Amino acid sequence: MSRYDERASADTPGNVDALQRHVEECDECRAAPPTIARVATLLNASVVPIDLMALSRRTLLQLQPEVARLGAAVLWRRVAAAVLLAVVPLPAVLAYDAYLLRTLYGLVSALLPATLAAYLIFGYAAFLMLLFGTTYAAIPVFLAGRTIERRPALG
Amino acid sequence: MATDEDLVVRLARGDETVLQELLQRYERPLSNFIYRHTSGRDVEDLYQETWWRVVRQSARFDPTRRFSTWLFQIAVNLCRDWHRRAPPEAQPLPDEMAAHDDRARAEAAVDAAALLAELPEPQREVIVLRYYHDFSEEQAAEILGCPKGTVKSRLHHALARLSARVQGSRP
Repeated sequence: MSRYDERASADTPGNVDALQRHVEECDECRAAPPTIARVATLLNASVVPIDLMALSRRTLLQLQPEVARLGAAVLWRRVAAAVLLAVVPLPAVLAYDAYLLRTLYGLVSALLPATLAAYLIFGYAAFLMLLFGTTYAAIPVFLAGRTIERRPALG
Repeated sequence: MATDEDLVVRLARGDETVLQELLQRYERPLSNFIYRHTSGRDVEDLYQETWWRVVRQSARFDPTRRFSTWLFQIAVNLCRDWHRRAPPEAQPLPDEMAAHDDRARAEAAVDAAALLAELPEPQREVIVLRYYHDFSEEQAAEILGCPKGTVKSRLHHALARLSARVQGSRP
Protein backbone atom coordinates (compact mmCIF):
# COMPACT_ATOMS: atom_id res chain seq x y z
CA MET A 1 0.00 0.00 0.00
CA SER A 2 1.14 3.52 -0.67
CA ARG A 3 2.62 5.08 2.45
CA TYR A 4 1.87 8.51 1.11
CA ASP A 5 -0.90 10.25 3.01
CA GLU A 6 -4.14 10.00 1.09
CA ARG A 7 -4.98 13.60 1.92
CA ALA A 8 -2.61 14.70 -0.79
CA SER A 9 -3.95 12.31 -3.39
CA ALA A 10 -7.51 13.50 -2.97
CA ASP A 11 -8.64 16.99 -3.80
CA THR A 12 -9.29 17.71 -0.14
CA PRO A 13 -8.35 20.86 1.73
CA GLY A 14 -4.94 21.04 3.31
CA ASN A 15 -3.99 20.13 6.84
CA VAL A 16 -5.10 23.01 9.08
CA ASP A 17 -4.19 20.96 12.16
CA ALA A 18 -0.55 20.90 11.09
CA LEU A 19 -0.47 24.68 10.94
CA GLN A 20 -2.39 24.97 14.22
CA ARG A 21 0.05 22.58 15.91
CA HIS A 22 2.94 24.62 14.65
CA VAL A 23 1.44 27.80 16.08
CA GLU A 24 1.00 26.09 19.46
CA GLU A 25 4.61 24.86 19.50
CA CYS A 26 6.29 27.94 18.00
CA ASP A 27 7.22 30.64 20.54
CA GLU A 28 7.32 33.38 17.89
CA CYS A 29 3.92 32.37 16.49
CA ARG A 30 2.42 32.27 19.97
CA ALA A 31 3.65 35.83 20.55
CA ALA A 32 1.82 37.07 17.45
CA PRO A 33 -0.63 34.34 16.41
CA PRO A 34 -1.33 34.25 12.67
CA THR A 35 -4.94 34.01 11.51
CA ILE A 36 -4.74 30.36 10.55
CA ALA A 37 -8.41 29.92 9.68
CA ARG A 38 -8.41 32.79 7.17
CA VAL A 39 -5.09 31.74 5.68
CA ALA A 40 -6.40 28.18 5.34
CA THR A 41 -9.61 29.36 3.69
CA LEU A 42 -7.62 31.23 1.09
CA LEU A 43 -5.12 28.41 0.57
CA ASN A 44 -7.97 25.91 0.17
CA ALA A 45 -9.23 27.89 -2.81
CA SER A 46 -6.07 26.90 -4.68
CA VAL A 47 -7.05 24.97 -7.80
CA VAL A 48 -4.66 22.96 -9.95
CA PRO A 49 -6.17 22.84 -13.45
CA ILE A 50 -4.29 19.87 -14.87
CA ASP A 51 -5.66 16.99 -16.92
CA LEU A 52 -4.03 14.26 -14.85
CA MET A 53 -5.00 11.35 -17.07
CA ALA A 54 -3.53 12.96 -20.17
CA LEU A 55 -0.42 14.02 -18.30
CA SER A 56 0.22 10.53 -16.94
CA ARG A 57 -0.53 8.95 -20.31
CA ARG A 58 2.03 11.14 -22.05
CA THR A 59 4.56 10.54 -19.28
CA LEU A 60 4.04 6.79 -19.45
CA LEU A 61 4.46 6.78 -23.23
CA GLN A 62 7.64 8.79 -22.95
CA LEU A 63 9.13 6.62 -20.21
CA GLN A 64 8.22 3.17 -21.49
CA PRO A 65 11.30 2.84 -23.73
CA GLU A 66 13.51 3.81 -20.81
CA VAL A 67 11.94 1.18 -18.54
CA ALA A 68 12.28 -1.40 -21.32
CA ARG A 69 15.95 -0.42 -21.62
CA LEU A 70 16.37 -0.92 -17.86
CA GLY A 71 14.78 -4.36 -18.13
CA ALA A 72 17.04 -5.31 -21.02
CA ALA A 73 20.12 -4.12 -19.11
CA VAL A 74 19.14 -6.19 -16.07
CA LEU A 75 18.50 -9.25 -18.25
CA TRP A 76 21.86 -8.94 -20.02
CA ARG A 77 23.67 -8.55 -16.72
CA ARG A 78 22.02 -11.77 -15.52
CA VAL A 79 22.86 -13.56 -18.77
CA ALA A 80 26.49 -12.46 -18.55
CA ALA A 81 26.71 -13.65 -14.93
CA ALA A 82 25.06 -16.97 -15.76
CA VAL A 83 27.30 -17.57 -18.79
CA LEU A 84 30.40 -16.69 -16.74
CA LEU A 85 29.28 -19.11 -14.04
CA ALA A 86 28.67 -21.80 -16.63
CA VAL A 87 32.05 -21.22 -18.30
CA VAL A 88 34.00 -21.82 -15.06
CA PRO A 89 33.62 -25.64 -15.01
CA LEU A 90 33.82 -25.87 -18.83
CA PRO A 91 37.59 -26.72 -19.11
CA ALA A 92 37.17 -29.59 -16.64
CA VAL A 93 34.08 -30.87 -18.48
CA LEU A 94 35.87 -30.64 -21.85
CA ALA A 95 38.94 -32.40 -20.48
CA TYR A 96 36.78 -35.18 -19.05
CA ASP A 97 34.91 -35.49 -22.37
CA ALA A 98 38.17 -35.68 -24.30
CA TYR A 99 39.34 -38.44 -21.96
CA LEU A 100 36.01 -40.24 -22.38
CA LEU A 101 36.14 -39.96 -26.18
CA ARG A 102 39.72 -41.28 -26.27
CA THR A 103 38.77 -44.23 -24.06
CA LEU A 104 35.66 -44.92 -26.12
CA TYR A 105 37.70 -44.75 -29.35
CA GLY A 106 40.19 -47.22 -27.93
CA LEU A 107 37.37 -49.57 -26.92
CA VAL A 108 35.38 -49.26 -30.18
CA SER A 109 38.43 -49.49 -32.44
CA ALA A 110 39.33 -52.81 -30.75
CA LEU A 111 35.97 -54.23 -31.87
CA LEU A 112 35.30 -52.37 -35.18
CA PRO A 113 37.39 -51.19 -38.13
CA ALA A 114 39.32 -47.97 -37.37
CA THR A 115 37.39 -45.88 -39.97
CA LEU A 116 34.01 -46.92 -38.58
CA ALA A 117 35.22 -46.37 -35.00
CA ALA A 118 36.46 -42.86 -35.93
CA TYR A 119 33.13 -42.12 -37.64
CA LEU A 120 31.17 -43.20 -34.56
CA ILE A 121 33.39 -41.27 -32.13
CA PHE A 122 33.34 -38.11 -34.28
CA GLY A 123 29.58 -38.42 -34.51
CA TYR A 124 29.37 -38.70 -30.75
CA ALA A 125 31.76 -35.76 -30.32
CA ALA A 126 29.60 -33.68 -32.67
CA PHE A 127 26.53 -34.64 -30.64
CA LEU A 128 28.27 -33.54 -27.44
CA MET A 129 29.25 -30.20 -29.03
CA LEU A 130 25.65 -29.67 -30.11
CA LEU A 131 24.50 -30.46 -26.59
CA PHE A 132 26.94 -27.90 -25.13
CA GLY A 133 25.91 -25.28 -27.66
CA THR A 134 22.22 -25.81 -26.96
CA THR A 135 22.80 -25.68 -23.21
CA TYR A 136 24.63 -22.33 -23.38
CA ALA A 137 22.14 -20.90 -25.87
CA ALA A 138 19.30 -21.87 -23.52
CA ILE A 139 20.70 -19.72 -20.68
CA PRO A 140 19.35 -16.34 -21.94
CA VAL A 141 16.05 -17.91 -23.02
CA PHE A 142 15.61 -19.57 -19.62
CA LEU A 143 16.49 -16.35 -17.73
CA ALA A 144 14.16 -14.23 -19.86
CA GLY A 145 11.33 -16.70 -19.21
CA ARG A 146 11.98 -16.66 -15.46
CA THR A 147 12.11 -12.85 -15.40
CA ILE A 148 8.65 -12.68 -16.97
CA GLU A 149 7.25 -15.41 -14.67
CA ARG A 150 8.61 -13.73 -11.54
CA ARG A 151 6.70 -10.48 -12.09
CA PRO A 152 3.84 -10.61 -9.60
CA ALA A 153 0.50 -9.08 -10.48
CA LEU A 154 -0.17 -5.64 -8.98
CA GLY A 155 -2.93 -5.17 -6.49
CA MET B 1 -1.16 -4.23 -2.16
CA ALA B 2 2.53 -3.66 -2.94
CA THR B 3 4.22 -0.76 -1.16
CA ASP B 4 5.67 2.13 -3.12
CA GLU B 5 9.15 0.98 -2.14
CA ASP B 6 8.52 -2.55 -3.50
CA LEU B 7 7.29 -1.04 -6.73
CA VAL B 8 10.47 1.02 -7.15
CA VAL B 9 12.60 -2.09 -6.60
CA ARG B 10 10.62 -3.81 -9.34
CA LEU B 11 10.90 -0.75 -11.55
CA ALA B 12 14.68 -0.94 -11.21
CA ARG B 13 14.48 -4.49 -12.60
CA GLY B 14 12.70 -3.12 -15.64
CA ASP B 15 9.17 -4.20 -14.73
CA GLU B 16 7.09 -1.98 -17.02
CA THR B 17 3.78 -2.65 -15.27
CA VAL B 18 4.74 -0.89 -12.04
CA LEU B 19 5.43 2.51 -13.60
CA GLN B 20 1.76 2.96 -14.40
CA GLU B 21 0.82 2.07 -10.82
CA LEU B 22 3.33 4.56 -9.37
CA LEU B 23 2.09 7.24 -11.76
CA GLN B 24 -1.49 6.62 -10.66
CA ARG B 25 -0.57 6.86 -7.00
CA TYR B 26 1.42 10.07 -7.32
CA GLU B 27 0.05 11.91 -10.34
CA ARG B 28 -2.12 14.26 -8.30
CA PRO B 29 0.22 15.08 -5.38
CA LEU B 30 3.26 15.46 -7.61
CA SER B 31 1.61 17.60 -10.28
CA ASN B 32 -0.08 19.73 -7.58
CA PHE B 33 3.25 20.24 -5.85
CA ILE B 34 5.01 21.28 -9.06
CA TYR B 35 2.10 23.50 -10.07
CA ARG B 36 2.17 25.36 -6.76
CA HIS B 37 5.95 25.58 -6.74
CA THR B 38 6.24 27.09 -10.22
CA SER B 39 2.92 28.95 -10.23
CA GLY B 40 1.69 26.65 -12.97
CA ARG B 41 4.53 27.13 -15.45
CA ASP B 42 6.34 24.23 -17.17
CA VAL B 43 4.44 21.72 -15.02
CA GLU B 44 4.41 18.99 -17.65
CA ASP B 45 8.13 19.27 -18.37
CA LEU B 46 9.05 19.19 -14.70
CA TYR B 47 6.59 16.37 -13.99
CA GLN B 48 8.04 14.23 -16.77
CA GLU B 49 11.60 15.07 -15.82
CA THR B 50 10.87 14.01 -12.22
CA TRP B 51 9.58 10.62 -13.35
CA TRP B 52 12.45 10.32 -15.81
CA ARG B 53 14.88 10.69 -12.92
CA VAL B 54 12.90 8.22 -10.81
CA VAL B 55 13.25 5.63 -13.56
CA ARG B 56 16.91 6.38 -14.22
CA GLN B 57 17.86 6.37 -10.53
CA SER B 58 15.54 3.56 -9.40
CA ALA B 59 18.46 1.12 -9.10
CA ARG B 60 20.06 3.45 -6.54
CA PHE B 61 16.89 3.85 -4.45
CA ASP B 62 17.25 2.64 -0.87
CA PRO B 63 14.04 0.67 -0.12
CA THR B 64 14.36 1.42 3.61
CA ARG B 65 13.59 5.06 2.78
CA ARG B 66 10.14 6.42 1.99
CA PHE B 67 9.50 6.65 -1.72
CA SER B 68 7.31 9.75 -1.33
CA THR B 69 10.17 11.61 0.37
CA TRP B 70 12.59 10.61 -2.36
CA LEU B 71 10.15 11.55 -5.13
CA PHE B 72 9.48 14.98 -3.66
CA GLN B 73 13.20 15.51 -3.09
CA ILE B 74 13.75 15.03 -6.82
CA ALA B 75 10.84 17.35 -7.62
CA VAL B 76 12.09 20.04 -5.22
CA ASN B 77 15.56 19.96 -6.76
CA LEU B 78 14.13 20.22 -10.28
CA CYS B 79 11.83 23.08 -9.29
CA ARG B 80 14.72 24.92 -7.65
CA ASP B 81 16.81 24.52 -10.81
CA TRP B 82 13.83 25.73 -12.81
CA HIS B 83 13.51 28.86 -10.64
CA ARG B 84 17.20 29.62 -11.22
CA ARG B 85 16.68 29.34 -15.01
CA ALA B 86 13.17 30.64 -15.58
CA PRO B 87 12.72 34.34 -16.32
CA PRO B 88 10.17 36.01 -14.02
CA GLU B 89 6.79 36.15 -15.65
CA ALA B 90 3.42 37.48 -14.69
CA GLN B 91 1.09 34.83 -13.32
CA PRO B 92 -1.13 33.83 -16.25
CA LEU B 93 -4.75 32.89 -15.73
CA PRO B 94 -5.02 29.29 -16.95
CA ASP B 95 -7.64 28.65 -19.60
CA GLU B 96 -9.27 25.93 -17.52
CA MET B 97 -9.57 28.34 -14.63
CA ALA B 98 -10.92 31.14 -16.79
CA ALA B 99 -13.60 28.82 -18.07
CA HIS B 100 -14.61 27.93 -14.55
CA ASP B 101 -18.37 28.08 -14.00
CA ASP B 102 -18.14 29.62 -10.60
CA ARG B 103 -16.60 33.05 -11.08
CA ALA B 104 -16.09 33.60 -7.35
CA ARG B 105 -14.28 30.30 -6.97
CA ALA B 106 -12.10 31.06 -9.94
CA GLU B 107 -11.17 34.42 -8.46
CA ALA B 108 -10.44 32.82 -5.09
CA ALA B 109 -8.23 30.27 -6.83
CA VAL B 110 -6.30 33.05 -8.54
CA ASP B 111 -5.97 34.83 -5.19
CA ALA B 112 -4.64 31.65 -3.60
CA ALA B 113 -2.18 31.13 -6.45
CA ALA B 114 -1.04 34.75 -6.19
CA LEU B 115 -0.69 34.44 -2.44
CA LEU B 116 1.53 31.39 -2.80
CA ALA B 117 3.52 32.99 -5.60
CA GLU B 118 4.24 35.99 -3.39
CA LEU B 119 5.98 33.84 -0.81
CA PRO B 120 9.74 33.47 -1.11
CA GLU B 121 10.61 30.09 -2.61
CA PRO B 122 11.87 28.43 0.64
CA GLN B 123 8.74 29.50 2.53
CA ARG B 124 6.45 28.41 -0.29
CA GLU B 125 8.10 24.97 -0.34
CA VAL B 126 7.45 24.50 3.37
CA ILE B 127 3.83 25.64 3.17
CA VAL B 128 3.10 23.41 0.19
CA LEU B 129 4.72 20.34 1.72
CA ARG B 130 3.32 20.86 5.21
CA TYR B 131 -0.14 22.16 4.40
CA TYR B 132 -1.17 20.63 1.09
CA HIS B 133 0.82 17.40 1.26
CA ASP B 134 0.74 16.77 5.00
CA PHE B 135 4.42 15.89 5.31
CA SER B 136 5.72 16.05 8.88
CA GLU B 137 8.37 18.62 9.76
CA GLU B 138 10.99 15.84 9.77
CA GLN B 139 9.94 14.67 6.31
CA ALA B 140 9.81 18.22 4.98
CA ALA B 141 13.31 18.78 6.36
CA GLU B 142 14.53 15.62 4.61
CA ILE B 143 12.91 16.61 1.33
CA LEU B 144 14.25 20.14 1.46
CA GLY B 145 17.67 19.07 2.70
CA CYS B 146 17.68 21.36 5.73
CA PRO B 147 17.40 20.98 9.52
CA LYS B 148 13.98 20.64 11.16
CA GLY B 149 14.54 23.98 12.91
CA THR B 150 14.85 25.68 9.53
CA VAL B 151 11.53 24.17 8.44
CA LYS B 152 9.89 25.51 11.61
CA SER B 153 11.40 28.93 11.12
CA ARG B 154 10.35 29.06 7.44
CA LEU B 155 6.85 27.94 8.39
CA HIS B 156 6.66 30.68 11.00
CA HIS B 157 7.74 33.36 8.52
CA ALA B 158 5.41 32.00 5.84
CA LEU B 159 2.45 32.01 8.19
CA ALA B 160 3.26 35.50 9.42
CA ARG B 161 3.52 36.76 5.85
CA LEU B 162 0.33 34.99 4.72
CA SER B 163 -1.53 36.20 7.77
CA ALA B 164 -0.44 39.80 7.20
CA ARG B 165 -1.38 39.53 3.55
CA VAL B 166 -4.82 38.09 4.35
CA GLN B 167 -5.51 40.73 6.97
CA GLY B 168 -4.27 43.45 4.65
CA SER B 169 -6.50 42.30 1.80
CA ARG B 170 -9.63 42.52 3.95
CA PRO B 171 -11.44 45.84 4.02
